[in-house]
Amino acid sequence: MIKLIFYLFAGILIFAGTRVITVKNPVHAAMFLVLSFFSSAAIWLLLEAEFLAMTLVLVYVGAVMVLFLFVVMMLDINLTVLREGFARYFPVGALVGSLILIEMLLLVGPNYFGLDKFQVPDTASTVPNTVALGRVLYTEYLYAFEIAAVILLVAMVAAIALTMRSKRQNKYQDPARQVEVSAHDRLKVLKMPAEKAQ
Amino acid sequence: MNFTVTDLSLMLPEIFVLSMACIILIVDAYLPERLRDLTYQLSQGTLVGAAILTLGIQPESSTLLMSDLFISDAMSVVLKSFVYLIVFAVLLYSRAYLHNHKLFCGEYFVLVLMATLGMMVMISAHHLLTLYLGLELLSLSLYALVAIQRDSSQASEAAMKYFVLGALASGILLYGMSILYGLTGTLELSEIAKAIATGQIEPQLLSFALVFIIAGLAFKLGAVPFHMWLPDVYQGAPTAITLFIGSAPKLAAFAMVMRILSEALPDLHHDWQNMLIILAVLSIALGNIVAIAQTNIKRMLAYSTISHMGFLMLGLLVAKPDGYSAAMFYTIVYALMSMGGFAMLLLLSRAGFDAENLDDLKGLNTRSPWYAFIMMVIMLSMAGIPPFLGFWAKWAVLSQVVAHGFIWLAVLAVIFSVIGAFYYLRIVRLMYFEEPSDTAPLQVNTDMHLAVSVNGLAILALGILPQPLLQVCIQSIS
Amino acid sequence: MLALSDFLIVGAVLFCLSIAGIFLNRKNIIILLMCIELMLLAVNMNFIAFSHFSGDIAGQVFVFFILTVAAAEAAIGLAILVVLFRNKHTINVEDINSMKG
Repeated sequence: MIKLIFYLFAGILIFAGTRVITVKNPVHAAMFLVLSFFSSAAIWLLLEAEFLAMTLVLVYVGAVMVLFLFVVMMLDINLTVLREGFARYFPVGALVGSLILIEMLLLVGPNYFGLDKFQVPDTASTVPNTVALGRVLYTEYLYAFEIAAVILLVAMVAAIALTMRSKRQNKYQDPARQVEVSAHDRLKVLKMPAEKAQ
Repeated sequence: MNFTVTDLSLMLPEIFVLSMACIILIVDAYLPERLRDLTYQLSQGTLVGAAILTLGIQPESSTLLMSDLFISDAMSVVLKSFVYLIVFAVLLYSRAYLHNHKLFCGEYFVLVLMATLGMMVMISAHHLLTLYLGLELLSLSLYALVAIQRDSSQASEAAMKYFVLGALASGILLYGMSILYGLTGTLELSEIAKAIATGQIEPQLLSFALVFIIAGLAFKLGAVPFHMWLPDVYQGAPTAITLFIGSAPKLAAFAMVMRILSEALPDLHHDWQNMLIILAVLSIALGNIVAIAQTNIKRMLAYSTISHMGFLMLGLLVAKPDGYSAAMFYTIVYALMSMGGFAMLLLLSRAGFDAENLDDLKGLNTRSPWYAFIMMVIMLSMAGIPPFLGFWAKWAVLSQVVAHGFIWLAVLAVIFSVIGAFYYLRIVRLMYFEEPSDTAPLQVNTDMHLAVSVNGLAILALGILPQPLLQVCIQSIS
Repeated sequence: MLALSDFLIVGAVLFCLSIAGIFLNRKNIIILLMCIELMLLAVNMNFIAFSHFSGDIAGQVFVFFILTVAAAEAAIGLAILVVLFRNKHTINVEDINSMKG
């Protein structure tokens, strides 16, 4: 039964991953990425990483992908141009990808990481996954936790610094100044001697 | 988990820099425009304070802190001190440029300080997790800094390239780390070394993990064939940011490579030695040859960086403490020289004008003999001509390479450096034997003038007396 | 029963898909960013699988931090993308190639 669930979600995951890199429309790609996050979360549940599976759905699907979609829709992207050259790169990309894959599969396959080498662990753990993570997160990994907080602060500062437009750049009208304007400020009468034909 | 005061006293520099960065962030938000210089002074004060705190640490023994995530040892004290020194100079050099280009804002200083904190975390990392987090803290700040000139399409283009390739490199590095974790069952660097030393792990799998880790590190260092981002980022970023990227982060990169290769994977040195040989030879060859064809100085200095990174790897691949200290010496010397080179470009720039083409240096001698002299010192030092500092750095690395039996490697490196000397000398020729094409007078502040002079004279003085610095490097590694 | 290799194979396939995706979508930056997310997903899959099979929580802690950093990274990446788009009015990499040499 567990095997069936695994193969189902692994199949969906790989299908969705393939679609992410091959679909034409970035919105569709983002949707397939969401699908692959969901199926990964399911596989992580099989690995008893419940907290991270939930985090993946909440943080990734809920926040990061929404941000992606937001940006895709905010930028008015010309879709047809973006697909040019896809066919040209396809043979190279597929070749490189499959070559790396074959080499990696030889190494991470059952030869070295099969059941005989790594037994299935005893699943009867007494502590829930979230508790176990929480216990080490604020004790053993306190330092890392603090740095992660700083990274989020940097991301916030950077994103605001890069994209915020201050009010002064907006164009607005000042009626008082418009009324007070006189012809002297706007118009300049120049004297131009007529050019002589040569 | 229990803390003691001594525990935290070793981490004071990090705590100080972080607190000050946050204070500056808040203070800057409420500062009126005319008092903006206070942000600058606070940032410089932060670096000075951190330097005092760091030098107050007794570096005799290495101490593990925070559940072994943090290490304080002699190497970290030396590298951090140089990072403060270099960032201090970077801020000083950039000040006028930032004013002229309307980039003088609080975000710049906060991001630079956060990047500095990232470098400190990397230098003191004793765990794959802290190494990764420090690296990301540094990289994320740098991506944002490159793009900080929002109306420049070249800068945002460079930032995008930097971001995509940097994130790709992190991904590859992480994949290698994940395999390494699976094989050794731990993330702590010394525990990884112990697990590998037992010899029970399949060597083929270890080299599989190693390939990804080396590829990721090579990306970050900018070694050929993973160098594509470097010239574009150097050229596209505002010169003040290029100055920052091209100097201090190299020290952090050196620390990261040292921590991973020499502390976690010393028993795999036969494998990584071979990979580093390939990367080093390609970097030195391509960097020196392609640099000749460049007309943009920033781009030329980027290719020169690539070749210098090759030399750095020559020192590392010896896989002995002597080689590591030679590589460390080389990195520090390179950061000092690169800083001076870019500072000179900042000096020649003014509002609405960036000095970035070779022609902008033409006839510098007639415009200002003193700056031409300093630039000549820096260029000759980068070319590795005795008795300048750069020569001793190359000498230290090459003598180690020869001593450990890679004579052919040293010969190749020397041949390519001789080829490379051509483009450094071309700059000297342009400065002294050509008529200036740009005759606008140089506007230089007193502090900038002093700093550039000190930088140039330091390269000259250390070239005559390289021993003390080399000795510091040797003591901090052993 | 499911072996460790099953999970690692899924991770390896995802990793290669993301590499191939970076090759294929060289022109479309937003898909490049998605490929990077896919690559981090592959890494996370590896870490969690190893963590489960070795009964060690450290791998899961690492994933926790990778997720945090990746979220920050996505925010900065998209901010740069927005700045780029405002300057160039395109996210086509071919148009974005003013620097050569």
